[in-house]
Amino acid sequence: MREGECERGRRFDALFESYSADVVAYCTWRAGSASDAQDAVADVFLTAWRRLDAIPAGDAARVWLYATARRVLANQRRSTQRRAALAERLAFAAVTDKPSSDSDDDLVREALHQLGALDREVLLLSEWEGLSPAQIASVLRCPQVTARGRLHRARRRFRSTFEQLADREHLRRHHGPAAEVRATSITHAFGGDS
Amino acid sequence: MTTFRSFEALRLANPRSKPGFATTVEAAADQVRLRIAAAGAADERSVRQRRAGRPFLGLSAVGAALAAAAAIAVVVTGGTAETATAAAAIHKAVTLSAVSANESGTVLVRMTHDGQLWASKDIRWNGSDIGITDNSPGRASSGSPLLVVNGILYDHEPERAGWVNVGPVSSIDPGTGTSPTDQLAAIRDDIGGTTLLRIVAAMTGPTTARQSDGSTIYRGTVASGQIATTTGFKEGQNIRVFPFGYVAHDVAADPASPLDTAITVGSDGFIREIAVTWPGWTYTVTYSNLGSTAPLVAPADAQPLR
Repeated sequence: MREGECERGRRFDALFESYSADVVAYCTWRAGSASDAQDAVADVFLTAWRRLDAIPAGDAARVWLYATARRVLANQRRSTQRRAALAERLAFAAVTDKPSSDSDDDLVREALHQLGALDREVLLLSEWEGLSPAQIASVLRCPQVTARGRLHRARRRFRSTFEQLADREHLRRHHGPAAEVRATSITHAFGGDS
Repeated sequence: MTTFRSFEALRLANPRSKPGFATTVEAAADQVRLRIAAAGAADERSVRQRRAGRPFLGLSAVGAALAAAAAIAVVVTGGTAETATAAAAIHKAVTLSAVSANESGTVLVRMTHDGQLWASKDIRWNGSDIGITDNSPGRASSGSPLLVVNGILYDHEPERAGWVNVGPVSSIDPGTGTSPTDQLAAIRDDIGGTTLLRIVAAMTGPTTARQSDGSTIYRGTVASGQIATTTGFKEGQNIRVFPFGYVAHDVAADPASPLDTAITVGSDGFIREIAVTWPGWTYTVTYSNLGSTAPLVAPADAQPLR
């Protein structure tokens, strides 16, 4: 094997070793199913293999991979338009396919489900992938100030939705379903975000 | 309620903290190597057209893929040395088959129920061209081939005793997920290694039986849900669907049911057959001419659709 090919192989292996878990995690929560996620991961790293010389060094490589994954997933969704709506609904079910015994997990899933797709993506890029607003802006190809604003809004909406759901769950557990219905009606009647 | 609780719960819900995530990453590694190996072979073909004398499997990733597939198989299945060897051999066959299936191939899919043919489909493909003949008994479309060559769909209509040029594939049912292009994409998924790798990874305790013709049969059990991964809704029932579009009936409808699975690897190292059995039923996918199926030819006498 030529020395150049060896070096290229080493660089790719290092890239994969460093960031495969990140790409798998991202594709897992963004894709519609486990097999779609695996397919997307394979496409991302195939692109990386082919464009190895264009990938920036250091942590910027991780951002490059997220941005590539985002494009791959977008293409995947476009090519399976019929499944896209279902995939969007199932995206979070795929993360925890089995019924969860953890009520907080269920609340998180429901709260995320109630967010808009863009809010959800920005929030999870920050909270799950650990990206800074500047890095999120690179992935989404938007100005930093926009990413920062979206993140702020998404965090606020998530917290508010989670708290409402948690309060409802608390009432249901301690006072039964009737209390939940009453509480919901009262909250709605006052247009409250109590 | 504190902000802490909502965001702590969010962080704990990260897929990375879920059981099995490490296995998912390992499976992804396998898939990546397979994809690069397949692409490497395709890239290599175009290079060979310009530069003679270079070995077919010259790209380092292909060799690495085979070695890595074997190594990963040992990790995935664990157990005895024989089990690990069997899993590694199947993985290697899957990788080789997927690389060739990327070019062309033929599969015959059959289901039987109580010993009678229930459904049958013959699929040939070469590049982007594909021919599908449904030979299922009692179906109106049975025996009528469907052909896509150079992006044009041809249908064989017995009542008109000939081929009909239906038109460009791209204009037929766009976006419905049921167009011939969608079918071809789905079939490529089923053939191209993704399905095979998933089944192999899920197989428990494969045993090895060498045959007199040089082939080897690996037998084990696989949860139905790992074979019939697609779910749907039909006639008021939730259903699971096997690769190539056949409904998993009876016991196989339960994703947890362990189904007897046999994978035959030919003496040439390619996957030859996958056979799944459960009470009353058999589901068989037979592969042939991977990488050597002849180009599909457009019917010369096709009449325009009227």
